Amino acid sequence: MKLVHTALAATLAFASIACNAQNAGPSDPQIASIVVTANQVDIDAGKLAETKTKSQNVKAFAQQMVTDHSGVNKAATDLVKKLNVTPEDNPTSQSLKQGGDANIARLKTLSGGSFDKSYIDHEVAYHESVLDALDKTLIPGAKNVELKALLVKVRPAFVAHLEHARHLQAELAKSGA
Amino acid sequence: MRLLVCLMAALVLPVDAMAATYVVVIEQMRFDPPTLTVARGDRVVWLNKDLFPHTATADANAFDSHDIAADASWSYVARETGRYAYSCKLHPTMRAVLNVR
Repeated sequence: MKLVHTALAATLAFASIACNAQNAGPSDPQIASIVVTANQVDIDAGKLAETKTKSQNVKAFAQQMVTDHSGVNKAATDLVKKLNVTPEDNPTSQSLKQGGDANIARLKTLSGGSFDKSYIDHEVAYHESVLDALDKTLIPGAKNVELKALLVKVRPAFVAHLEHARHLQAELAKSGA
Repeated sequence: MRLLVCLMAALVLPVDAMAATYVVVIEQMRFDPPTLTVARGDRVVWLNKDLFPHTATADANAFDSHDIAADASWSYVARETGRYAYSCKLHPTMRAVLNVR
């Protein structure tokens, strides 16, 4: 049930941009803030998982998330500076942050198999939501060509991460975690 | 002395000059081209244009770049003929083939 809540929170966070999109859609400074927050949330969860999991496979995945999302965020931050854009806080980035904080708080209370399952389930839901948002709102909505190009460039990484997370999810289910 | 080096180089170079350099671009979680065929002695350079590290690691470890950082490259001279399936150790869904003739 808790899982449903977090997955839902992630979905809702992105759904709010979809609503926004019907009006004007997020502006580039808002998209920048959403991108940086979305990456940061997954870096934080990955850092926690690196220290808490007992599974080599989950640990390797978590390290991958920290490395890859840090790389994306560095590029996003560099671009934002270059374009002289100030990322603008907005309801989507705020609810992403809240969802990320809630996820961390819950993961901290778990250990062993239930930690791994909860972390990986959330990673699946998170990457699904991000891809959905990239496709429906962020990529079509980005006005600056370099910002749009960056989003297009990182999309395949999110696809690979989702595939990797689903693979781990199936493995954990088999091992009865 | 310099002349001698030049002379030696002239003798040695024709063999080396035949060797070509190929570039495999790593971008958007793909090796491009996904299949590359080179001659023995050719050089292959893997250039990582993604925003995070990748590796080019042959299945039986015939070659292994280890981590290639974002915007960095790794070069390898193909000495042994064969078909080498390789992948990124960090992202196992990324696969490609190097053929050495």
